[in-house]
Amino acid sequence: MGAPFDIGYVFSFLPKLLETLGVTLLIVAGSLLTGLVAGFLVALPRMYKIPVLRTLSGIYLSFFRGTPILIQLFLFYYGLPEILKLVGLDLTRAPVMFFVILTYGLHTGAYAAEMIRASVEAVDRGQVEAAYAAGMTPYQAFSRIVLPQALAIAVPVFSNLVIALLKDTSLAFTLGVMEMTGKAQTLGALTQHFIETYIALAFIYLIISFTLERLLAAAERRLTRHEIRERSGSAGRFKLKRRGSYRSVWNSLAEADAGKGGGI
Amino acid sequence: MIQLSKISKSFGRNPVLRDISLNVGTGEVVVILGASGSGKTTLLRCINYLEKPGSGEIAVGDLRVDCSRARRSDILRLRRKTAMVFQQYNLFRHKTALENVMEALLVVKKLPLAEARRRSVELLEKVGLGAKLDAYPSRLSGGQQQRVGIARALALEPEVILFDEPTSALDPELVGEVLEVIRAIAKEGITMIVVTHEMGFARDVANRVVFMDGGLIVEEGTPDEVFQRPREERTKQFLRRITPEANYSI
Ligand SMILES: Nc1ncnc2c1ncn2[C@@H]1O[C@H](COP(=O)(O)OP(=O)(O)OP(=O)(O)O)[C@@H](O)[C@H]1O
Ligand SMILES: [Mg+2]
Repeated sequence: MGAPFDIGYVFSFLPKLLETLGVTLLIVAGSLLTGLVAGFLVALPRMYKIPVLRTLSGIYLSFFRGTPILIQLFLFYYGLPEILKLVGLDLTRAPVMFFVILTYGLHTGAYAAEMIRASVEAVDRGQVEAAYAAGMTPYQAFSRIVLPQALAIAVPVFSNLVIALLKDTSLAFTLGVMEMTGKAQTLGALTQHFIETYIALAFIYLIISFTLERLLAAAERRLTRHEIRERSGSAGRFKLKRRGSYRSVWNSLAEADAGKGGGI
Repeated sequence: MIQLSKISKSFGRNPVLRDISLNVGTGEVVVILGASGSGKTTLLRCINYLEKPGSGEIAVGDLRVDCSRARRSDILRLRRKTAMVFQQYNLFRHKTALENVMEALLVVKKLPLAEARRRSVELLEKVGLGAKLDAYPSRLSGGQQQRVGIARALALEPEVILFDEPTSALDPELVGEVLEVIRAIAKEGITMIVVTHEMGFARDVANRVVFMDGGLIVEEGTPDEVFQRPREERTKQFLRRITPEANYSI
């Protein structure tokens, strides 16, 4: 199948694929924004143990983490308009992009919710008590003491989440969105140089992932400059030494409830 | 002046404080002793509402709070009249020593930056950390961290400082430097309630020693009275257990 391999095509495909980079990045950015908002809304009832809402967030999390993203895309694109028709809302004319960003956004929201909850809970309770004891309000304690540290803790998880999202957007072509993977399919079909398009495509994803990872790693280093760093041998790269209060986020995912003490 | 009247607190069905009443005069240093689980920490934490007392009344200075109907604003005011030094230091880990001390001055007392800074530097120098202003807690020894904790408490100019076992998380060789600082500020007439197992310190510094057991104040008196002539059997047992024989017989 296809034409004989010709490396020249890889180079000529690169700029053509990059024309659709904007679409891919739009999906990523739109979904991240939606996802962070959704994640926050879902994390709150779980952190504050609000009865009914907490169960609802649990269902939301199970659905979006327990089913394939492809199925979610189909369900939202084909299913949502049908359901909304019943209540008199017509979505059949809404752009595909709307469904794509909504689905990826809600999908990302499930992971963001866990990221937010785990990061906030990883800041040790003692510091919050110290803030309260000094007379700070809950809002002051959160914004000045918890938030800056939770952000730093969240960055590595956030980094994984963004990169996973970037790669997942390659499935949007199944709904006919002309993002990078969709474009690659078209180019391949047109020229019969499938392998070359996929090499070019993989290369672009790789470069973006790598850049994002580096940027976020730099952000993490900046946000955690108060923690002790050790030079790790020959690599000469800095490694974060986890200390008492900085329990790993994954540990605290397990110990869901460490809350002790009053507050207001 | 601190007045606790009939403070009670239960965790679930487990009563931890039973009608505790305690008065602490201005400038007085009260040391609370008692076995593990006797409710010492809980009592301190009730005073600044880190635990919500079940019932009773707390008076600090001119503020009176009836625990059965305390409002948020009462709790906030109570906390602004008290300060606490924690066993685990609980420094803000993303802030330097100086920023730790300045934080509440800026956020709670709303002092101008220069004023907050001047006062914080002064206090850190006083606890012997003038050279560590810009160090993050992760770079400080336990003893240094706890001295920052003390400076942070002093900065608020509270009516009372509550110390919950300020030296028991420290390596033995670091205990001395922290006790020395606490001793020095006690001499300045700052009102303190101190939970500690450091008997030597209690004897030297306390104006009054309170012995708790099972959520009750079993005995209180001057260090001499409590250490040399304990009246209650439970106090005697406790002192026998924690004081080496030789010391006790002195
Ligand atoms: N958050 C809590 N939930 C339930 N029970 C608690 C809680 N905090 C303390 N307790 C219980 O209350 C009792 C008194 O605890 P507290 O910490 O006040 O004792 P303590 O005198 O400070 O002991 P130690 O010398 O070990 O610090 C203990 O039986 C403890 O198990
Ligand atoms: Mg205790």
